[in-house]
Amino acid sequence: MTEPVVFVIDRVVTQPGKARTFVERYLAEYAPGARGRGMTLRDVLVSPPIWFDDAPNTVTITWTLPSALAWWQMTWQGRPDPALGEWWSQISELVSERSRSVAAPAHAVDGLGDV
Amino acid sequence: MFSVVRLLDVAEGDRDRVLALVRDAAEHVGAHRWVVAPTDPRSRNGGDILLHLGFVEGSQWHCVAQYFDDILKDPAISRVNGASYAGNPTHTGRSGTVYRVLLLRVLPGTDPDTVRRFESELLAMPKYVSTMTAWRLSRADEPIGDRAWTHVFEQEFTDADGLMGPYLMHPIHWAVVDRWFDPETTDVIIRDRVCHSFCAITEPVLS
Repeated sequence: MTEPVVFVIDRVVTQPGKARTFVERYLAEYAPGARGRGMTLRDVLVSPPIWFDDAPNTVTITWTLPSALAWWQMTWQGRPDPALGEWWSQISELVSERSRSVAAPAHAVDGLGDV
Repeated sequence: MFSVVRLLDVAEGDRDRVLALVRDAAEHVGAHRWVVAPTDPRSRNGGDILLHLGFVEGSQWHCVAQYFDDILKDPAISRVNGASYAGNPTHTGRSGTVYRVLLLRVLPGTDPDTVRRFESELLAMPKYVSTMTAWRLSRADEPIGDRAWTHVFEQEFTDADGLMGPYLMHPIHWAVVDRWFDPETTDVIIRDRVCHSFCAITEPVLS
């Protein structure tokens, strides 16, 4: 049986006028390492879809992993690397607020809890 | 109850000798519950021998603490992580065959309400993980070792599969509680490497 896909969702409210720079740096600096840890980039959504120069945007980046075990393997690889936490600190001037959450499709919730 | 945990890194060729030495000591100090056992190789940063002592009163430990400290100065023991702490366990009435201890340090200066939320989420885990048969979350009184450990989270599990499977793989762990440990989240409050250690038991440690 195929295991449910696990989603990792970064939601970032940018500083006014910084959304384009944030997305460019995220894709150039963060995404390659994330792919190396087993994550697959699904979407980078910008809301509203206008590169404001004087207002914040909300950027929602969605990654997928093939299973809960793959999620653990991803985080076990990344956690000992201090550069990862530091990267988020380095881009803090572009970010007003952010969150990271982990999710799964609604149809998979019962199965994920039955382990 | 008052408890003491010690995780011992021991030179490979001396492990049987040190195990016998520490077992002999544990047997004769009036502990209400005790275990001295080799750690499971799947432990992480968890030492080679796990020692747990449970006393009715903290004063009982403090009478023998120096005796144990002297034993743990054995030259074959290269590192000791641990803590002593007060607190009572919760148990389901089912017996476990694996005892696990997690030592962690919450970042100094963390808001007390945040610490309480973190503790509350850890204590919510047994509701979702049916293989956990007993547990106790304690604030460490006397940490020793690599870090000034602030918390000790102990559990008994039905078996090692119950720890490595349901406990690890339930979403309450990877989608909820783990964010406190994840440097990529804004909720992270545990940045230091934790000690995750477990061993087989034949008698209850918590229950």
